[in-house]
Amino acid sequence: MEYDENGVSIVPSEFKKEIFEEAKKDFRYEEYVRGCLNCGVCSGGCPPHRFFDFSPRIVLQKMKSKDPELIWAMMDEYVWACFQCFTCAMICPFLNSPGGIIAILREIAVRRGLESAKKVLKPYSRVLLKLTAYGNQLSSDMIQPDFFPDWGPHIGYASADLAIKRKAIPMPTLQVTNLAWDVAPEAMKELYDIFDEAGVFKIIESVDPSLYEIIEDIVDDVRNS
Amino acid sequence: MAENILVVGGGPAGLHSAVTLADIGANVSLVERDSFLGGNPKKFKYKFLFPDMQPADDVIGELIKRAEKNDGVKIYYSSNVSNFKENEKKFDVTIKSPDASETKTFDSVIVATGFEHFDPARDAKYSYQLFDDVIDIKDLERMMGENNFVRPSNGQPPKNVAFILCVGSRDRHVGNQYCSRVCCTVSVKQAIELRERFPDCDAYIFYMDIRTYGFFEDLYWKAMEEHDVQIVKGRIAEITSGPNNTVICKGEDTLLRGPFEIPFDMVVLASGMEGGPQSSEMVDKLGLELNEHGFLKPQNVTLAPFKSNRKGIFLAGACTGPKAISDSIVEGGAAAMDAYIYAVKNK
Repeated sequence: MEYDENGVSIVPSEFKKEIFEEAKKDFRYEEYVRGCLNCGVCSGGCPPHRFFDFSPRIVLQKMKSKDPELIWAMMDEYVWACFQCFTCAMICPFLNSPGGIIAILREIAVRRGLESAKKVLKPYSRVLLKLTAYGNQLSSDMIQPDFFPDWGPHIGYASADLAIKRKAIPMPTLQVTNLAWDVAPEAMKELYDIFDEAGVFKIIESVDPSLYEIIEDIVDDVRNS
Repeated sequence: MAENILVVGGGPAGLHSAVTLADIGANVSLVERDSFLGGNPKKFKYKFLFPDMQPADDVIGELIKRAEKNDGVKIYYSSNVSNFKENEKKFDVTIKSPDASETKTFDSVIVATGFEHFDPARDAKYSYQLFDDVIDIKDLERMMGENNFVRPSNGQPPKNVAFILCVGSRDRHVGNQYCSRVCCTVSVKQAIELRERFPDCDAYIFYMDIRTYGFFEDLYWKAMEEHDVQIVKGRIAEITSGPNNTVICKGEDTLLRGPFEIPFDMVVLASGMEGGPQSSEMVDKLGLELNEHGFLKPQNVTLAPFKSNRKGIFLAGACTGPKAISDSIVEGGAAAMDAYIYAVKNK
């Protein structure tokens, strides 16, 4: 990567063009990008638009501009502001899907291991680990003040004495705090095969190599058990 | 012997064609499904007509009077075409009235079955029928016509009113991709009317394009310059309930404000026009064709705009697409000419 005198990376225009071509080649592109009258109903219904500098109308307009510079400018932070709620797709009179375009661009960012993707996915490494290695998502021991500051002032209470609190749940649980549910080794092996086929492991390797190493060890252990 | 011509539909187009035909000596049978003449303008009690704010009663009332007074026009109220058969180049038609059924032979037929207002309840984001203070274009015409313009929720005069354009038009989700042509002008007209009669009430118009085509543009400019109507570019994404018994319009001002949520005392939805079930009924009974938008299809939109796909059957007014009342009246006259020529040639 080249850098200018201020230490900002210079992205060659060829690369930006490549990103746009990759998005356009996506099988969903034609379905997601149609006409647009700038009516603004997508942004009007968009939850993040209410609070951030993010507008699904701008996403679609930039895509329709076919200008690789404008599209590249969204790849850094812009595409990560979307909630992926698809309200925009639900109400667009043309049946455009700005949320779908975001999904395409995000997938490109992740597949190519772009800096923005690495930055955004970093806080999720624990979730990725649980999900890909154990077939679990959130387990109760992951709820800790350091990781969930946005859970408010009671996060300290919520994360203490987990084992006892879990016993108080009036439904059958595993009575453990490091798993949400039990996944049989056979199911885990199948899951790994799916992740292999779908390229999930490859994507994790490109965005977070050290996380991938940990996952790889667990996967090997389970597969050889 | 005089030509026998059937006119189906007693709205502006049907009335004008019936009277024109009778004036040149034809025997006209006018079949009207309602118990009164005048079509939708009468049914929904339109108050004033654009562009010159003529009282609708003067225009429609005059058309009705001419038809009722004319000996050449036989009017069948609350009736419909129950049986329709081609008989060489003529048509054997059974007209079913509440208390009788009559079969006649006609030399030609004019279909002027008009349109239906889009039902805004079909587009859930506008919360029509959910909130009392969300009404539509025809509700407002009726309220103005009855001199009873107050908030349905509490009977008080509103302090601000929003007009939302393109409801049920230009939207693939509701299945109507076309522009309904007149709702922009009607809404601008209504906003002016509102500001004139209630100067303390603010009026906002939310639009994606304002299509006050031709000379109707004058109204649009006048609304801004003389009546201080606020015109905001942005389609409303959602209508929710707000504080103090208001309804909130949520959207994006695509030119100026970015996201907005504005509480209103009342919202008026500019619901568009649809071909309605009567168009399909004409297809079934008379063998006509629908276009892709659900209106009746002329043989050739430029060269034969009033001919249907069937010889001897002609089309006039909003049954072939969204239209202003003045256009429908023009078409009524033009279709009358076509129908008369056909009748004379095939006698």
